Amino acid sequence: MNELPQQLVNGLLLGSMYGLVAIGYTMVYGIVQLINFAHGEIFMTGAFGALTVYAYILPDGTSMAIALPLMLVGAVLVSVTVAVGAERFAYRPLRNAPRLAPLITAIGLSLALQQAVWAWYPEAKSARTFPEIPGGPFKLGDVTIQTGDIFLLIAAPISMAVLAYFVMKTRTGRGMQATAQDPDTAKLMGVNTDRIIVIAFALGAAFAAIGAVAYGLKYGQIDFRMGFILGLKAFTAAVLGGIGNIYGAMIGGVVLGIAETLATAYIADIPGMDKFGSQSWADVWAFVLLILVLLFRPQGLLGERVADRA
Amino acid sequence: MRQRSLIAITAALSAGALTLTACGSRDSGGDKGSDSGGTTVTIGVDAPLTGDLSALGLGIKNSVDLAAKTANKQKTVDGVTFKIVAKDDQAQPSAGQQNATALVADKTVLGVVGPLNSSVAESMQKVFDDAKLVEVSPANTNPALTQGTDWATTKKRPYTSYFRTATTDAIQGPFAAQYVFNDAKKKKVFVIDDKKTYGAGLAGTFTEEFKKLGGTVVGTEHINPDSKDFSAVATKVKNSGAEAVYYGGEYPQAGPLSKQIKAAGAKIPLIGGDGIYADDFIKLAGATATGDLATSVGAPVEELDSAKEFVANYKAAGYKEAYGAYGGYAYDSAWSIIEAVKKVVDDNGGKLPDDARAKITAATQNVSFDGVTGKVSFDEFGDATNKQLTVYAVENGAWKAVKSGTYSG
Amino acid sequence: MSGVGPIEPGEGTHAWDTHPAEPPAGTPAPPRTPPARLRRLLSDHRRAALAALTTVGLLAACALLYVTRPQEREPAIPEPPFPAQVVDVTYVGEHTVPPGTRPHTLAFEVLLSVDSGPPVTVTRVSQPYAGVSLTSAPRAPFRTKAGSARKIVVTMHVAECGKVPENAGLPFIDVTLRNKRAIQVQSFILGPRYAHDLSRALQVACSNDST
Repeated sequence: MNELPQQLVNGLLLGSMYGLVAIGYTMVYGIVQLINFAHGEIFMTGAFGALTVYAYILPDGTSMAIALPLMLVGAVLVSVTVAVGAERFAYRPLRNAPRLAPLITAIGLSLALQQAVWAWYPEAKSARTFPEIPGGPFKLGDVTIQTGDIFLLIAAPISMAVLAYFVMKTRTGRGMQATAQDPDTAKLMGVNTDRIIVIAFALGAAFAAIGAVAYGLKYGQIDFRMGFILGLKAFTAAVLGGIGNIYGAMIGGVVLGIAETLATAYIADIPGMDKFGSQSWADVWAFVLLILVLLFRPQGLLGERVADRA
Repeated sequence: MRQRSLIAITAALSAGALTLTACGSRDSGGDKGSDSGGTTVTIGVDAPLTGDLSALGLGIKNSVDLAAKTANKQKTVDGVTFKIVAKDDQAQPSAGQQNATALVADKTVLGVVGPLNSSVAESMQKVFDDAKLVEVSPANTNPALTQGTDWATTKKRPYTSYFRTATTDAIQGPFAAQYVFNDAKKKKVFVIDDKKTYGAGLAGTFTEEFKKLGGTVVGTEHINPDSKDFSAVATKVKNSGAEAVYYGGEYPQAGPLSKQIKAAGAKIPLIGGDGIYADDFIKLAGATATGDLATSVGAPVEELDSAKEFVANYKAAGYKEAYGAYGGYAYDSAWSIIEAVKKVVDDNGGKLPDDARAKITAATQNVSFDGVTGKVSFDEFGDATNKQLTVYAVENGAWKAVKSGTYSG
Repeated sequence: MSGVGPIEPGEGTHAWDTHPAEPPAGTPAPPRTPPARLRRLLSDHRRAALAALTTVGLLAACALLYVTRPQEREPAIPEPPFPAQVVDVTYVGEHTVPPGTRPHTLAFEVLLSVDSGPPVTVTRVSQPYAGVSLTSAPRAPFRTKAGSARKIVVTMHVAECGKVPENAGLPFIDVTLRNKRAIQVQSFILGPRYAHDLSRALQVACSNDST
C-alpha cells in the first residue's frame, strides 16, 4: 500500500495548524515589528476557552453540532481578550522602549500565561481531554481522515480566504497594509494606527483560537504547555514563508508540516540514514530546510525585500 | 505617567506571583506541630511536581509525607521528628542536579526519596554520593543506575549511596517480551521509544528478549517527547504490518500515540512499561485504549495485605492527588530511611552522631522490614530484593492486572 | 530561544518614538467609547483600581482553586491477601532424566516454599512455550503448609524444536496457586542460572535428534 498520500495529508493537516498560528506572528510582526512570543500561549488560552464553554457552560451531553460553534466563539473570545489585553497593558507602554524590552516582555508574558493556566485552571496540571466529533474515519482511497481533521481541512482555507478579503478589500485592511508599509505616513494619512495595531493582535489571536480548537479536536487533549512548541514551530513557519506576509505564513506552515512528516516517514529509508530518520530528527530536517530556504531567499518564500519597507 | 503605570504593573505582577506561591504552598507545609522537642530530621523529596508527569510525582511526595507523619505519630525514632522538603525537578536532569545540591547543603537533610526519572537520577547520584547522603528512588528502573553501564556483562555498583525499591528494566522489558510473545501471541512488533534514559533502556531490553524468543521487530522509531503529533509515525506503524507496538517512554506521549495509531487504522495494542501505567494514560488514549498493556513494577498495591493500611491512611490523610503507580514504593523508600535513622540513633545512645549521613547510608544497606510493597531490603547493588512485576491491561477504562510474576534469580 | 528577529533597529525600521501613547483627541469612533471611559477611570484612579482589580482577581482565583480541588477518588477496597504473596519458587538445579524416558526430555528441580497464611495448593504448573509440554512431580494438585518447603521436579518434553526459543534471557514457569482467599496464576522467573541451564538443555535436546 502506498504510504505517500497518507503522509502528505498528515503533513498538510499539521502544516495547516502551524499556518493558522503563524498568521498571528506574521501580522503582528508586519505591523509593529514585534515578535510576539506570547502568541503560542494566546493559542493555548484559546483552547482552554473552548474547553470552558464545553465543560462548564454547556449542559452535559450537548451535541457537537451545537457545541462546536459555541466553543469556537469561546475560544476566539478568550484569545482575543488575552491578546488585546497583552497589547494594551504589556506592549503599548513599551512602544517607545528599545526593541529588546517588548521582546523580553513577550517571553515573560508567555511564561506568566502558562503558569496562570497551570495554577488556576481546574485540573490543568496535567493534560485535559478535549471533546471530539463523533463519527468514524473517512476513507479516500489510501487516505484515512479523522472527523477531527475535517474541521481543520475546512476551517484553514476558509479563514485564509476571509483574511485575504479583509486585508485586500476592506478599509481597515488597507489601513493595515498602509501601517505595515510606513506607520508614520499612514498616520499622516489619517489611519488610526493604534486601532490598527489592536486589530492586528485581535485577528492573529482569532486565528490562533481557530487553530487551538482544531488542535483539541485533532489530538483530543490540551495542556498548559501546548502553545510553547507549537508557537515556536509557527514562528518558524512564519519566517519560512516570509515574515510579514500572510500568505507566506500559511504556505510556510504547510511546507514545514509536510517537511517534518516526510522526514519522519522517509529519511530512514535512505541507505545509511536510518539513524537520522526517526521523528526525533524531524525537527532537525525541518530546520535544515529553513536554513536552506533562508540561504537562497533570505526574505522567506513569499517575503518582500526588507528594503521595500523603507 | 509612564513610570507610574510601569510601577503599578510590576507591583501587580509581583503581588500575583507572591499570591501564587502562597496558593501553591498551602498543602506542602507539613505539620510542625510535633511537640516532642529533640532533633528534627529532614527527608528530602525530589520528583516532578509540575508538568506532564506531576501526577506520578505528587503521589510520591504525598506518600513520603505520609511516612514522615506516621513515624512522628508512632514515635518510631525516640527524640527525632521527621519532616519533608519537596523539590520539583520538572523531570529535567539539570533541575534535579540543582535540587540535589540544595538538599546536600541543607544539613538537616539525612536522606532523599526520589527521583521519578532515571535520566534525572543520573545527574543526582554523584552529588549525593560525594556528600554520603543516602538516596532511595521509588521509581527508577534503569539497570545502569545500580549495576553500572556495563550491567549486561559485568555488574559494578557505581554509587554506594544510591538505592531503589523499584524493579529494574532488566527484568521488566524481558517480562513484557515474554508476555507479548507467549501469552498475547504477537510475533511482529514495532518498537518506539522517546530516546530518554528510561524509554530507550526499556525498549532495548524488550527488543533483545523479543528477538531471542523468535519474534520479529518490523520497525523502530524514536519520537520527540515534546510533540503531540505522531500521525507520521502512526502511518508507518500501520503500513509495517505490526501486530503490536512496544513503547518505551511515559504516559504523556504514550496516550496520544496509542490514540493516533488506532486512528490511523492499526487496531493493535500498545504495550509499555511502568511509565505508562497511570490513569492519565487511559484518559489521554481515549476509548480505543482498550487492550493496551503495561508492565509495572511490583504486585498491585491494592492487592497486597501490607498495603491495606497504606491505602486507608493515605485516604484518611486527605491528599488531593492519588498515590499513583509509585506511592507504595515511595512510602517504603521513606520508611527505609526512617529505619536507618532509627538504627543509627539507637546505636549512638539516642542521639544523632556527627557523621550521621555516612552512618545512615551504611545502615540503609542493611534495613529489612515489612513494607507496603512486601519485604523491603536491598542487595549488594542497592536494588530491591523483592522483585515482583505485573502485566496490566486496559479494560472498561481502567487498568486490570492480567498476569503477575516474581523474580527469584 | 531560536530565531529572535532583528533586535536593533535595522534598515527602514526604527523605534516608534513619534507616537504618543494616547490617541489624538477628538477622533470620535463609536465603538471606542467604552475603552475610553475605562481608560479615563484607570488613569484617574490607576493605582487604586489596579490594586483592587488584582486583589479581587487573586481572591477569586484562590477561591476557584479551593472550590475546584479534585476530590480524592475512592481507592479500591483492599483485596484479601493473595497466595502469590506468600509463595516463593526458587531454582535448585538440573535434574537427571531417568534412563528410558522419551528423547527431547529435560528436567529441573525447583523449591516451592510458603511463608505464612493458610495452606497453598498448587493446581497447575506450566510453561509458556508453544512447542514444549510440562509435567511436575509431585503431580498437581498438591498442598503445602505455611513454613514448609517442597521440592518439585519439573519435566519438560520438547515436541517441536522449531517453536522453541533456544536462548531466552528471562524464562519463567507459570504456577497456579490456590488458597482460601484466591486462585492466582503467578509467573516465577527463575533467574539467569535457570535461563542458562534451560537454553543449554533445549539446545542439546534439539541438536541431537537421534537420541
